[in-house]
Amino acid sequence: MPVIDVIFTDLQRLIGVPLPKGRDALNDLLAYVKGEAERLEGDALSIEIKDGNRPDLWSVEGIARELRGVIGVEDGLREYAVTGYSGVRIDVDPRLETVRPYIGASVVKQVRLTDDVIRELMHLQDKLDQTYGRRRRRASIGLYNYRLIKPPLTYKVTRPEDVRFVPLGGTEELDLREIVATHPKGIEYGHLVTKHERWPLLLDAVEKVLSIPPIINSNDLGRITEGVMDILVEVTGTTPQTVLNTLTIVTLSLADRGEAIYSTEIHYPYGENRQVSTPELATHVVRLDVNQVHRVLGANLTADAVLTLLKRARYDARRVGEDALEATVPCYRIDVIHPADVIEDIAIMLGYNNLEPRWPQQITIGAISAVEAFSDVTREIMIGLGFQGILSFSLINEERLFTQMNVKDTPVVEIANPTSSRFTLIRNWLMPSLMDFLSNNTHVEYPQRVFEVGDCVVLDDASETGARTVRKLAGLIAHSNASFSEAKAVVDAFFLNIGFPYRLNEAAHHSFIDGRVGNIVVHDRDVGVVGEVHPRVLAMWGLENPVTGFEVDLSSLMDI
Amino acid sequence: MVTWLVRAGGRSSIDDAKRASRLDDEGFNVAISWALRKGWLHVEKADNATLLVARKEPEEGSDERLLATLDAGPQAFKDLSPPLLVALTDLRKRPHVVLQQRNVKRRYILTEAGLQAVKAAEKAPRAVSQLTPELLRSGTWRGLKLRTYDIQAPVEALWPGKKQAYKRFLDDLKWKLVALGFKEMEGPIVEFAFFNCDALFMPQDHPAREIHDIYYVKHPAYGDLSSYSTQVRHVQATHEDGWHTGSTGWGYPFSTETTRRLILRSQGTALSARMLVNKDLEIPGKYYSLSRCYRPDVVDRTHLTEFNQVEGIVVGDGLTFRDLLGVLKMFATEISGADKVRFRPDYFPFTEPSVELSAYTTEAGWLEFGGAGMFRQEVTLPLGIEVPVLAWGLGVDRLFMMKAGISDIRELFTQDLTWLRRQRLT
Repeated sequence: MPVIDVIFTDLQRLIGVPLPKGRDALNDLLAYVKGEAERLEGDALSIEIKDGNRPDLWSVEGIARELRGVIGVEDGLREYAVTGYSGVRIDVDPRLETVRPYIGASVVKQVRLTDDVIRELMHLQDKLDQTYGRRRRRASIGLYNYRLIKPPLTYKVTRPEDVRFVPLGGTEELDLREIVATHPKGIEYGHLVTKHERWPLLLDAVEKVLSIPPIINSNDLGRITEGVMDILVEVTGTTPQTVLNTLTIVTLSLADRGEAIYSTEIHYPYGENRQVSTPELATHVVRLDVNQVHRVLGANLTADAVLTLLKRARYDARRVGEDALEATVPCYRIDVIHPADVIEDIAIMLGYNNLEPRWPQQITIGAISAVEAFSDVTREIMIGLGFQGILSFSLINEERLFTQMNVKDTPVVEIANPTSSRFTLIRNWLMPSLMDFLSNNTHVEYPQRVFEVGDCVVLDDASETGARTVRKLAGLIAHSNASFSEAKAVVDAFFLNIGFPYRLNEAAHHSFIDGRVGNIVVHDRDVGVVGEVHPRVLAMWGLENPVTGFEVDLSSLMDI
Repeated sequence: MVTWLVRAGGRSSIDDAKRASRLDDEGFNVAISWALRKGWLHVEKADNATLLVARKEPEEGSDERLLATLDAGPQAFKDLSPPLLVALTDLRKRPHVVLQQRNVKRRYILTEAGLQAVKAAEKAPRAVSQLTPELLRSGTWRGLKLRTYDIQAPVEALWPGKKQAYKRFLDDLKWKLVALGFKEMEGPIVEFAFFNCDALFMPQDHPAREIHDIYYVKHPAYGDLSSYSTQVRHVQATHEDGWHTGSTGWGYPFSTETTRRLILRSQGTALSARMLVNKDLEIPGKYYSLSRCYRPDVVDRTHLTEFNQVEGIVVGDGLTFRDLLGVLKMFATEISGADKVRFRPDYFPFTEPSVELSAYTTEAGWLEFGGAGMFRQEVTLPLGIEVPVLAWGLGVDRLFMMKAGISDIRELFTQDLTWLRRQRLT
């Protein structure tokens, strides 16, 4: 979840009233924006915003906007409107349709910037790029010094070697390929353009480079500095709605520190809407019924109460009938896509802790699943036989699953994106996990008797997922005199107690000593194995006591 | 030797005298030195030869008399005459001649208690340590004394079979949920992206679906969703334009290939989604799952790459957010033993409203204990569920770690047999 670094006094100034400094009181307040103070040192406040779907809250301005309503500094809709056309027109090259098709831009004038504010702004930009912009693939943001730019702009493509400019933070002019190879942002995001023969490029009327979206701005036009500035915001991306939403959020954050918003005009050679004015700061209306609110929340709220709560959440709201309401959703609330989203805001403003909890009255009968019930029986038997239960990871690797068990690789479920060489496969039997456990306890008092009832996964073409989760039981005995017959005695006791007759078929299994291993067969079905572990296997696990044990497929037994 | 010398003429070489005496070298030297000291003989040198000369047979001294007396057997000090006692003093200075022994006689008289004990002991039977089947069968044990033991003596350690400590905790939890009327749900470890994500209204390019958050299966990569074709169609429409759910949807083209992609279950909510399409679903119904879930995290003190999640749903007509708060409060008091509960707004892609549950106990203070919400209609309606569904998940790992006094999350799957053997069951 995004963690937002803000300046405490800046947040306070934007809200307009003093904020509590105590951690608990601050968190009680931040709970209204699904936030939690992670760190408060001096003036530096880090807030974790738990809502991954409300990028409007990922900035100090957005948090302040919402808390002004919560605290009651103001309520209802905060109006944001376009003052006029900036005169900036952007012409889009048809070849961008397959590269990075969409662009939006706005101009915010008279933005008051300090170093702290610039840092907060960069932080918002980064959070949007990373999360909502999907690491700049779906949307990326550029900010420019508007006064240095000569409109109209051209959003086009270019061969990387044909254009040279000084990237932000750089000192010398490089061609695009050099920038992608050497600039930190080029290294991080270069893969988004290098797959294309021609790369996106944003130029002004005198062919000065604004940026290579979504990599890096020019140092000349794309540098934001302290003071009062007119800023051009530009967002490019792969879906129109994401581009517009991102543009709205950045534009409004700047507008909260500036004077006025001006639009730009985008001219596309493709798509349905060939001429688009951005930003789009349109609100939309959600119709609600008081009874609907009641059905969801279980709270008897009057229409007036709902109206008040909506306004506190920065909606405009009005009654349109006895129980019918209309809520005007602010343009930055891109998360509101269903009436439930509005109802949650009503509940938040009412306060979750003001709703009386109620245990649902419906009568239901509880039960554990059949496989868990059977597992419990087998656990009882194993515990009665003196075995210590263990719990192990079901992820394992080839070395432990095959090599150290002295068996050939067999097909099992393999992970495409493992994070560690220790966890690359899902086990198809438990015994390697138990051997692993014994190998970690060679210094512990013998005899050792351990068991696990756990899930394994076996490949199965007949299954809808090509694999089947199976519950298995395995037990191992280790001590100086451990022998085949001791394990067999356990298997005898086990099958006697679950009420299945079984027989042993001689088997060749290289994990065990030849002639001291058998397949456990129930009603002609192979359900497991019992044997004395081969000394070669013991050596590979570093064990110096004989080990004997068994494994049974409980899922198969349940099918019989 | 001196007697022999006198009888042999009073004069002899050393060698002859030694041969005649039949003494060894050391004994002969001692004899010569004492005979010289007593004046029984003297040494003369003539023609380069050393001669022993004795004039008369030696008189018997008190030391000889003492030795003769002792030869007959040990003598008490009090029986020796004064001259013999003087001789004893001299002889005791010489090694290996006399042996002094102290003989002590003591007399004891039994007290009355002693007499009683003797009488009792005369009557006591034979004592044994081990009772045997033979003794029992024959009845001989009746005439035997069973020896007492030192009951304080240490004995061999015994380690009873028992459940793994964390599993035991999860079992307690499972029975509490059953007692509250919840039925267990099941589902596969290798799961469709459909149930894990799409049916839960997570857009297909959602960050939580990237390779950093979900394990993808290498082979088989895709499964067969044909048994759920209706639900897939509805979920697709919901993602694209909201379908009949009252939502605008996410507005992107939904991939029916991505939805068939196989992954390792990353959240227990996948089982809830499966339950909603299960023909055995009961309405009203309460369900729980205790499932192993997987995420591509690097394992350290605070992260596991597989872990257990406890999740569930309550399905029924007329359920409200207040009912959800009631369920959470019940969990907090029944499972964590909380004195107080606190609810705060939270976010999950598949619920609205969403809530975070914190439980307060005096030992641990506030503990974030769970997350919950009402399933969005974008989740329920495409799966064919027309009634409200309350969904909840409990963070029980931290609760167990607190109770077991462990701070390293890897200890949930401990490899330490000694620790497991020593875990208390109370």
